[in-house]
Amino acid sequence: MEQPRSDEDQQLVARTQAGEAAAFDELVVKYTPRLYGLVYNMTSNHEDTNDLLQDVFSKAYKSIGGFRGKSSFYTWIHSIAVNMTLNFLKKRGRRFHLSLDDMDASVQNDKEFLELTATSSPVREADLGELQRRLNEAMMKLSDEHRAVVTMFHIQGMPHAEISKILRVSEGTVRSRLFYANRQLQNYLDEFRKNPVS
Amino acid sequence: MDPLNEDQIGKLLRLKKFEQPPPGYFDNFLHEFHRRQRDELLREPIWRIALQRTQDFLFRLNIPGLASYPAAVTALLICAAVISLKVYQTPETVNVAAQNRAPVVATTSLPDSHWSLSNPVTTRELGPSLVRTVKDSSQTHRVTAPPRYVLDSTPVSYEPAFRF
Repeated sequence: MEQPRSDEDQQLVARTQAGEAAAFDELVVKYTPRLYGLVYNMTSNHEDTNDLLQDVFSKAYKSIGGFRGKSSFYTWIHSIAVNMTLNFLKKRGRRFHLSLDDMDASVQNDKEFLELTATSSPVREADLGELQRRLNEAMMKLSDEHRAVVTMFHIQGMPHAEISKILRVSEGTVRSRLFYANRQLQNYLDEFRKNPVS
Repeated sequence: MDPLNEDQIGKLLRLKKFEQPPPGYFDNFLHEFHRRQRDELLREPIWRIALQRTQDFLFRLNIPGLASYPAAVTALLICAAVISLKVYQTPETVNVAAQNRAPVVATTSLPDSHWSLSNPVTTRELGPSLVRTVKDSSQTHRVTAPPRYVLDSTPVSYEPAFRF
């Protein structure tokens, strides 16, 4: 996923800091889809994601006066979203239910989707819906911190360096978490492939 | 069956980005955000809103930046406190005289006709109108030293005048 231009964000931030609320609205519109993907894949629940996103933007709006631009707005807003989601998940515990089982209908015509379903053997072997459900289950078996790294790296396509800035950990820690999470997902999905009806 | 490698897992996970919220969700999100903001404002007490606005105002003025010298600010406050204490402190009246003691009368009175320039000052007797009270505290001379007289708290020197 392409990172938005930071100079454009800086201008919007400056205008917001000067008291122009409409500039913050532009930032909300710009970052909602991106942050939705991040938070949803960490919570696996649409209602929780919606509430969290509202809180994230509310907090960002209250704190934007103190934003000095040491990091990009992109990193800053992602840090808020990840930290608030991790706090929420700690309070929620292991209780969760999946609310989005259906993919967007437009995905059937997506080029990347067609490529994946044509070349990826696990996708061909298993029913796509079932595999999707298994993937969500596998994701939810990961710890919150590991799921955050997997979401940002595999689903959002962020580089290791950006993830390390957002989580405020070293790149080595990011790579280590990613390696461990991949191993866990691998084991879980292999079990499913060997025994698809379980 | 070969186990899934990292690349294949990555491809599978990337499929998750197609999971989308209900249609129209992103269009309504901003509206919902504004509505919640208004609700929050209505729920908050006035004093908290005022406090937040004051904080925002101070933040824009970069007051925290100015207050980043706590030692200097503290020192300044201490100096100001000390100076104000010095300035406004009323000095206590120092009364070195013994208040309960009766005034010492220099000598008995004599009529003015007895005045003579030939009489030495030390032995001159003063009349009742010229009686002065002498307090103990004003007797500043030592016992061995020649007598010194104090007129209106101003010491008078009897050293010989310069001769030209």
